[in-house]
Amino acid sequence: MHYMILIYEDESVYGDKNDTPEMQAIVAKHWDLVSDLGDQYKTGAGLAMTSAATTVRTVNGKQTIHDGPFAETREQLGGYYVIEADNLDDAIAVARRVPVRFDGSIEIRPLLHPPGK
Amino acid sequence: MIEAVLRADGGRITAALAARFRDLDLAEEALAEACARALSAWADAPPANPAGWLYRVATRVALDSLRRSAVRHATALPEPEPEPTVEELMTATPLIPDERLRLIFVCCHPAIHPDARAALTLRLVCGLSAQEIARGFLIAEPALLQRLTRAKRKIADAGVPFEVPGPDHWGERLDAVLSTLEVAYAHAHADGAGTGRHAGYAEEMLGITAALAAMLPTESEVQALAATVRFAEARRPARVDAEGMMVPLADQDPIQWDAQLITEGRRYLAGVLNRALGARGIQALIHAEWCARASLADPAPWPAILTLYDALLACRDDPVTRLNRAVALAEVRGPAIALEEVDALNHAGLAGYLPYHALRVDLLARLGLTDAARRAYDAALALAPAGAERRWLDRRRSKCMD
Repeated sequence: MHYMILIYEDESVYGDKNDTPEMQAIVAKHWDLVSDLGDQYKTGAGLAMTSAATTVRTVNGKQTIHDGPFAETREQLGGYYVIEADNLDDAIAVARRVPVRFDGSIEIRPLLHPPGK
Repeated sequence: MIEAVLRADGGRITAALAARFRDLDLAEEALAEACARALSAWADAPPANPAGWLYRVATRVALDSLRRSAVRHATALPEPEPEPTVEELMTATPLIPDERLRLIFVCCHPAIHPDARAALTLRLVCGLSAQEIARGFLIAEPALLQRLTRAKRKIADAGVPFEVPGPDHWGERLDAVLSTLEVAYAHAHADGAGTGRHAGYAEEMLGITAALAAMLPTESEVQALAATVRFAEARRPARVDAEGMMVPLADQDPIQWDAQLITEGRRYLAGVLNRALGARGIQALIHAEWCARASLADPAPWPAILTLYDALLACRDDPVTRLNRAVALAEVRGPAIALEEVDALNHAGLAGYLPYHALRVDLLARLGLTDAARRAYDAALALAPAGAERRWLDRRRSKCMD
């Protein structure tokens, strides 16, 4: 099965830019995990701060453009992996290894189809 | 006939099907279809091994269903198996692999909502009806069905593995399993006369707790639960008198208790005593205290029981623990103080719980509050208790009419 692993953290712990020393340190840890995962890793990326987010919202067929992320929450979506895993336990084992600076939540979602299909 | 087979072996069949096909819905549907076919196939004479017949036919039903959906989705077809003859089906005695432990770990996976785990285990492993489970959980049946459906969909969609987890993961997985088994056993035990729908799987609880205890000899809560189930089952022969009336624990004649099961229980408990005690350890001690009583001439160990319940309350403070403690409190410090404790509990949350009303009937009658006792009796009766409990309530009620 393929799973998306979504990383939620309070983005302010990395400062207010995308290239702070804190961000560089966590990115290095992510690359370590990616190389450990080998073939299990399919794709992934870190996301720019939510200050760069724009939302296109459709209500009653009418589209409007908004500044900011879909929802204002205490922890924001900051990055994702797509992995291949035998089952949920296997995916949970990967999710446990995803680095976070302080507190954070790693959501595991099965993909309905293999990526790219 | 079919119902009796399902009661005895339904969980085992469902577990074996689920483990083989990794699909809970398919397992349930295939077994239901096999039961429907049994109605006509068994009309003349039942097969030599009815459970084996159901398992075999359900397996074929499941394979056929998979083949049909494979055709629809143009995926690889499962290998067809040779069709057994009717003769073969009626005389064969196929072994049903015991996959119940594996199924329990699926049902109790931490990725499943806690409220759904026990319900799912009772439904799939123990074969209880949704109605029975809903009553035990004090929720409406449609809500329970929705909970079961959602949990099964989560298991399928999220890819919960049909495996017993490795030792590294025991810690987090075990508590969920033990709580689930406790709830399941509470159902088996609630049927005092042992004639109702659940009596059969009290036996399964002995088997399942023994299997877990053997797999995890150093987990004291596992050993403690195995001990508790044995102490409680040991008392089953004394729980109902010759007229079919429930006999409260303190009035049971220890001579009638099953000495073999008590010995087994003590053996499990011995492994617990030199470790830190959790809630299940204390509960096992409470049962052991009762089971140490040699005859009705010995005083009931109420003061020791009350002390143990005080200790239990420190690590597990819930309404049921408080209710059980109130029973001991009534004996040690009198019914008035106990009633005060019981009436401080959340009435709405306990309204569907028979022991709550039974205790109130008892306390109110002892205090001479006959009108209130009768109202409590009527509330208990409205829950349609099993025969033995009902007779006991009848006795209590007529006593307070005098």
